[in-house]
Amino acid sequence: MNLLTEPVGLTHYLLVGAVLFVCGVVCMAVKRNALGVLMGIELVLNGANVNFVAFANGNLRSDGDWALGLDGHLIALFVIVLAAAEAAVALAITLNFYNNHSTVDVDRAEELHG
Amino acid sequence: MNDPINWQSFFFLLFGLVACVFALAVVFSSNIVRMAFYLILSLGSTSGLFFLAGADFVGAMQLLIYVGGTLVLLVFGVMLTAQGPFVSLKTRGGEWVLASIVGGALFAVLAQRAVSISDWHGPERPLTLADSGEAASQPDSATSDAAGPADETKESEPFDPDGARAEENAAEDDKEPAPPTHEGRRVELRDTRTATAIGMALSGPRVDSLGEPSAVRRGGMSSYVLPFEIVSVHLLVVLIGAAYLARTKKRFKTED
Amino acid sequence: MQGLADILPILLGAAWLLPLVSFVVIVFLGPRLGKAGVLAGYVASGAILGSFVLSAVAMLLWLGHHWPAGTHHEAHGAESHAADEHHAAGDSPKRARLQAVAFAADDAAPATHAADEHAAGADHGLADEHAERPAYAGTWYTMASFGPLELSVGYYIDALTVAMFTMVSLIATCIHFYATGYMHDELHDVTDHEVRMSDGRHLHRPGRYYRFFQYLSLFCFSMLGLVVSGNVFMVFMFWELVGICSYFLIGFYIERKSASTAANKAFIVNRVGDFGMIIGLMALWGSLGTLAFGDLPVVAGGKGDNSTATKAVRPGIFSLVRPAENHHALTTPDGMVRSAAAAAGVTDNAAAAEAGVVNDWRQQGLGYGLLVVAGLGIFCGCVGKSAQFPLHVWLPDAMEGPTPVSALVHSATMVAAGVYLVGRFYPVFTPEVLLVIAYTGGITLLMAATIAITATDIKRVLAYSTVSQLGYMMLALGAGGWLAGMLHLFTHAFFKSLLFLCSGSVIHAVHTNDMRQMGGLRSKMPYTAYTMLVGCLAIAGAGIPFLIGFSGYYSKDAIIAQLISFRNHNSGFHGVLFYVAAAGAATTAFYMFRLWYLTFAGRPRDHERYHHAHESPKVMYVPLMILATLAIVAAWTLPGTSLSLANVLEQARPAGEHGAGRWWTALVVPAEHLSHLGAVHVEATLIATIVAIAGFTLATVMYGLGVLNPDDVRQQFPRTYAFLRDKWYFDELYDYAFVRPTMLVSRLVAGFDKRWIDGFIDSLARWTRGLANIDDTIDRYLVDGLINRLADWTYGFGLYLRNVQTGRLREYVMLIAVGTVALFVLATFAVGLVLAG
Repeated sequence: MNLLTEPVGLTHYLLVGAVLFVCGVVCMAVKRNALGVLMGIELVLNGANVNFVAFANGNLRSDGDWALGLDGHLIALFVIVLAAAEAAVALAITLNFYNNHSTVDVDRAEELHG
Repeated sequence: MNDPINWQSFFFLLFGLVACVFALAVVFSSNIVRMAFYLILSLGSTSGLFFLAGADFVGAMQLLIYVGGTLVLLVFGVMLTAQGPFVSLKTRGGEWVLASIVGGALFAVLAQRAVSISDWHGPERPLTLADSGEAASQPDSATSDAAGPADETKESEPFDPDGARAEENAAEDDKEPAPPTHEGRRVELRDTRTATAIGMALSGPRVDSLGEPSAVRRGGMSSYVLPFEIVSVHLLVVLIGAAYLARTKKRFKTED
Repeated sequence: MQGLADILPILLGAAWLLPLVSFVVIVFLGPRLGKAGVLAGYVASGAILGSFVLSAVAMLLWLGHHWPAGTHHEAHGAESHAADEHHAAGDSPKRARLQAVAFAADDAAPATHAADEHAAGADHGLADEHAERPAYAGTWYTMASFGPLELSVGYYIDALTVAMFTMVSLIATCIHFYATGYMHDELHDVTDHEVRMSDGRHLHRPGRYYRFFQYLSLFCFSMLGLVVSGNVFMVFMFWELVGICSYFLIGFYIERKSASTAANKAFIVNRVGDFGMIIGLMALWGSLGTLAFGDLPVVAGGKGDNSTATKAVRPGIFSLVRPAENHHALTTPDGMVRSAAAAAGVTDNAAAAEAGVVNDWRQQGLGYGLLVVAGLGIFCGCVGKSAQFPLHVWLPDAMEGPTPVSALVHSATMVAAGVYLVGRFYPVFTPEVLLVIAYTGGITLLMAATIAITATDIKRVLAYSTVSQLGYMMLALGAGGWLAGMLHLFTHAFFKSLLFLCSGSVIHAVHTNDMRQMGGLRSKMPYTAYTMLVGCLAIAGAGIPFLIGFSGYYSKDAIIAQLISFRNHNSGFHGVLFYVAAAGAATTAFYMFRLWYLTFAGRPRDHERYHHAHESPKVMYVPLMILATLAIVAAWTLPGTSLSLANVLEQARPAGEHGAGRWWTALVVPAEHLSHLGAVHVEATLIATIVAIAGFTLATVMYGLGVLNPDDVRQQFPRTYAFLRDKWYFDELYDYAFVRPTMLVSRLVAGFDKRWIDGFIDSLARWTRGLANIDDTIDRYLVDGLINRLADWTYGFGLYLRNVQTGRLREYVMLIAVGTVALFVLATFAVGLVLAG
């Protein structure tokens, strides 16, 4: 199968989305820097967004009638907006944490353990 | 390679690989500044994927908000919390292994799900066009005639049967003077139309329901005014909250 | 008349309720009424004073409407001179003569009287119908009615009620004021020298001044209610209230063993009498269906008024027993006849409806026994309350109460309630019952008088004197002398309360009851001494024959005259009653003057006590003087009018004569007017005077002049002396006859209780405990164990789960990822299973 000559399908987009998503999750799991965790979150959200956009397009699949259409775009937009808002708040929290603990190591933020 | 290169696939592979590679780079880099840079590249190429999938407005917003806004914010954060020159917080190897296993498992699950459905592998009729619609607008391919319906069905295929769409396209074509390059312009027109439809949907009416033959689907096309308002208020709250949280507190400061 | 019928119940009702108000006030505010409750005395005294004023107003209104006519014997005096006019004699012009003078006038024609005697019974019945006999009956409030039985608060007001009301409230007022002085010790903490605590010290307790007046007020309320009550049910209620007040007051010094014992004794002995009374009440109600004395209007709520004959009335007991159409002769009521017939089984319904059959039965004597039972039952209650033989034993012991209590409760009013009730129920008693009453009274009279001779406790002398005088009254009533008995009831109330208050004054001064430690107190406390002398003269019946005398002179004369009349009409043994009365009169004079001499005359026998003796405060001797005055003048006729106590009471004389008994036809209860016949009257006056002088002389010889040493006499008759000193061994007799057998039975029952019933209960309890123990074990180890184990598991699991919450952000992320994968895998399996299934 020649990737360059074959038309791409929904599966390809989903695979890219999955890679981004898993990268984001792993990033969140391994980064001790709070900002690294934030970046992981952004990656996760982007992976999800890729899926939304891909599902919106009916041309990428043989059962095109099931595509999300404009709704997929709109939800992707909302995700972007909410990601921006989340980033702002998370950065503010990180700054606050830094002010209090003089570090951005998330392993130091374990006062809430059971 | 007997077949001509499918440029759409080509660009998809290009942007997809860049996005994936830099995403992995974000994971494996231990320098926070570099991570930020790799993330910019990864997100930027993701926006290219959006364009390729016909979501021009979403892709544009991805570039504007994410790459232009959020990541700048992140970089500010990196600078504000810098602890000495490039302090890196090391992660233990065991955690790496554990994370790899879990991540691999997750990826396996997701990939298996993505691959397992044959309907999702690609469009029914083979797309033989070499021309992708983004900016190239290359009419030199022999099968450029087939590319038109392929491209325009990015958006309009679910809405319209082929015939109706073709007539509409033809009617639009009449206004345009340049026939050979009309395909690229049509893509442009359609992108504009997507933005309009999104804008209309956010302010109430769903213009895409006009061409929808299925009454059930038309009924499902709801207005996005309320989510829009909610998100607006949400953003306002976040703005105020972030400003409150991030402001400098005097009591933690010393005079000197 | 209508006005009087309206206003009398209001006046007397208010006078009756005032002491209740005082009682309630003191109950709730007692200790807060001034310092140590000193105001309680004023509250109670004020209330009873108000009662007295109201009842005096009632008395005056009564006199205004019903001016007493001349007495019976005066009417007969006219009768004897003009036989044709004897019907008009009832409303003959009022005569302005002293009673004594009337006696003298009767002497003029003894022969005609003798001729008149036998016809008098029938004639007098006719005359009675024309005599004014005003009475107002009614109902204040009906509490409940069960079929024909109405439990109501009603009134029956006639001359006796009004006079009794006035007397009781007057004496009670005097005694209340006296008691404010007498009880002042109770205003502060009291050290009771007669009570030793277990640690050897004397009892020290707070004063109970207010409580004393609280009881007194309740007592007055009860007594006045008893007097005014219009039905037997109400009488019984207040009867018991009086009894319980007596119990409280006798046991006022409750810490003293003797006081609490005496209170118990009084209460229990009264129960015995009340048992009989309840039987009498049941006999009455069961056969008559009504408890009211007088006729009541049928429509409830209306005021009873006998004068308006047009109204439908429901006949009371009196009308049933002595129907007017039968000339008020004693008639067995239809109800009793039917009941008796039903019991005897001679009835059938059809026949019972015919009045003629009932009359036949009545002629056969059916139901008469029921009437006798009712009368005896009522009299049983009176025996208990009035301390008649054989239930007299409680009264002397009741002297443990404070002296004002003795004066008010145990001499003047409460014990008088029994006599009053006999007088009230007089129409119901058959001649047979009256004979029982007479003999009971006679025995009591003689027994108590002889015991009084040897008693040395000043209050006990008076107590036995009271018993004896009550016996007099009963004797008079039983012999047919209704007026004599009632008159003696009133005069005795005055002089006996006077005597008791005097003795209280003495005790207050010398702090002992023992006359052997007194003597010569006359100079120390002159007011007390001379008022007491008045009392002694009154009770002895002193007077100048046929001219004037103390109040006791008139009443005792009347009694003895009635007894002479009784002797004359009944041949044989019954004459003994007269001799008993005469002997009693002599004894009375003897022991009263013995008391006076021992207390006030001679030389002081205990110089210590004599030295500390002092006259009582004014608040105490002023009531003495008031009562002394009354003791002198109570029975006098107001000069220039026919107003006298006897004439007022005459208005309430029960209708009808008793005549001969049915069962015992030889028994004749003579009409009272027969005792006023000249010969009888002269004999009575002379005998009474002679025996009184004899008793007085003997006392003077033995105690006043010291000519005859009492000790010698005592040694002369040692057995008699011991017999009298030990009160005829009544207490011992009762101890052997009732108390010990009761105790024996009690012990047996207690033993049975302890051994068998307690044993049974104990074993039950042990069983229950054993069961409970098993149950407890199950609960503790099985149920609780399960629950506790479960709780422990939950707790441990929670502790374990706590470790998962590390607080480390990255682990959470990892867990989320793992969870997602797991969900996917699970969902896949689930879908696979569903598809496979």
